Amino acid sequence: MQPRVFLVDDHELIRTGIRSELSGSLDIIGEADEVQAAIEIILERRPDVVLLDVHMPDGGGLAVLRAVTDLAPEVRFLALSVSDASEDVISVIRAGARGYVTKNISGPDLLDAIYRVAAGDAVFSPRLAGFVLDAFSLEGRHLEAGDVDPDLDLLTPRERQVLRLIARGYSYRDIATELAISAKTVESHVSSVLRKLQLSNRHQLSNWASQRHLN
Amino acid sequence: MPTQTPPRPIIGTPVRPYRRGVQNAILGGVCGGLAIRLGIKERVVRIIFCLLALVSGVGFLLYMILWLGVARADEPEAIAQRLVGRHRQLNRIAIGIVAIVAIFFFLQFLGMPDLGVFTWPIFLTLLGAVGIWRGASPEELVHLGEFAKSAPFLGAAASKSRGSFWLRLALGAILIFFGLRILRHLGGVWGLATPAFFGTLVLIGGVLVLLAPWWLATLNDLTGERRERVRIEERANVAAHLHDSVLQTLTLIERAAGDEAAVVRLARNQERELRQWLFSPDGSTDASSFLGDLRALEDEIENDYGVRIELVVVGDCVSDEHVTALVAAGREAAINAARWSGADLVSIYAEVEESTLSLFVRDQGSGFDPETVPADRQGIALSIRQRVTQRGGTVTLKSTLGAGTEVQLVLPRTS
Repeated sequence: MQPRVFLVDDHELIRTGIRSELSGSLDIIGEADEVQAAIEIILERRPDVVLLDVHMPDGGGLAVLRAVTDLAPEVRFLALSVSDASEDVISVIRAGARGYVTKNISGPDLLDAIYRVAAGDAVFSPRLAGFVLDAFSLEGRHLEAGDVDPDLDLLTPRERQVLRLIARGYSYRDIATELAISAKTVESHVSSVLRKLQLSNRHQLSNWASQRHLN
Repeated sequence: MPTQTPPRPIIGTPVRPYRRGVQNAILGGVCGGLAIRLGIKERVVRIIFCLLALVSGVGFLLYMILWLGVARADEPEAIAQRLVGRHRQLNRIAIGIVAIVAIFFFLQFLGMPDLGVFTWPIFLTLLGAVGIWRGASPEELVHLGEFAKSAPFLGAAASKSRGSFWLRLALGAILIFFGLRILRHLGGVWGLATPAFFGTLVLIGGVLVLLAPWWLATLNDLTGERRERVRIEERANVAAHLHDSVLQTLTLIERAAGDEAAVVRLARNQERELRQWLFSPDGSTDASSFLGDLRALEDEIENDYGVRIELVVVGDCVSDEHVTALVAAGREAAINAARWSGADLVSIYAEVEESTLSLFVRDQGSGFDPETVPADRQGIALSIRQRVTQRGGTVTLKSTLGAGTEVQLVLPRTS
């Protein structure tokens, strides 16, 4: 069954491009070019996957995520952006998006990412993996040992390894081969990183964000 | 929708609908608008209002009601409508009204005489002034601010024009008129210290309420002006930058429209440049850091070889000899990948850790067998190896025919 996909982007050209590239392989059930309309239509039509632009007027993708996730937890979000600002990307992920890809992603890769998100997996682009490694490494470096619940807040060596490989440009299949584990295990590592990212102490990650600004 | 009405009255021709004047307004444009509506001279309307003001303050009241209830000619809704639309404002104003009425009754209770027939008109006018102050549109506040600057009350900006002289005279006369009436009341009937004291308080309070909007509007006007100036400067900077970069590139792209490779290269260059400008606002990408060096490398290779580089960097550090050597080795590896692999995407991943620097250059191109490398490519591989191993680092080369190549460079940090 094709996933039912909803597009949110304030740029007509981008929506048109995505629609023409994906319409054959996906069931695109609607689109919106502003936050309020997006929230209403998503709540009404309950798509499987929302392709969400990070930067929009009136609060951006974050506002859509915050409004929808509580009322319709079954709707999954994939953030799509040209943004290079890691804070924006991380905050969207923390608000509940299941992945982040950049807009110059190729059609087949985007399709793959959407299917993955529809299946409940996480989608980490190399850049997102880099942001996450950065966030967690800074956290670990600047905190006293007693401050952190290690189970929750820090990545395991294996998760770190997987993230590094993603950042190096490896696909999930490549990673599975490289580490001699199954693709399923790779996916579960990535999902667990996502979970930690979303659950970890708000204070610490905002620390990280402010440090990024200072640098 | 803004309603089209002429800016000046057409004498003898009434014009519908009634809107407060904008261009012929002195204070709220009530009289100017009425003149337009009725097709008579503004001066006639103004004189009528002034006369009405002397008749138990009816003129004041009427003026306030019209000011609040009638929309300005270039605005969709009246101040009253706007106030009703904003609930929080409305609450605050309601509290204000209750407070003022309470004070009023308290004074009555103390034996404070009413101000004669003017009591209610004055109080209602004051209330109206508060309403206008809270509910007027920014444009109207600006107008009032300008009016305040030339108004006689503040003195500072007393203009020398004859109009303002007459205005000052008229207002002064009205104030004196009220003052006399109040004093006559107090002196004649009550002659007591307490009510006189409270009477003065009420007077001062009234004057303050009357002046506060003017004063604040002028203040707001000034800060607004400053903010506007900063905004304009910022805008000019952005415009200058866009002109030098994006606009130039677009022109180049138009010219090179036939050459696909050139267009792609130009677009990518511009994209990268714009990104750096947008996302590192303080221009922190000077080449003296690891990240800066890698960005420069990304630029160079995308430009010279027409491949896309996916650069991911975790952490950053100041450039030193080891950083430079590592980036130089990475450059060789990336050039190799761009030239020989046939892939259109080269991934570069760099990480700064406490004691090590790592750099990974990966492509998913043709790959090769390291044992059977042609001599001209071995040279480059050697130069990569040499740079890194000389400084105590390690080089790992992984390549699979048909699946791509990855060069892994790890170097200890100097400090």
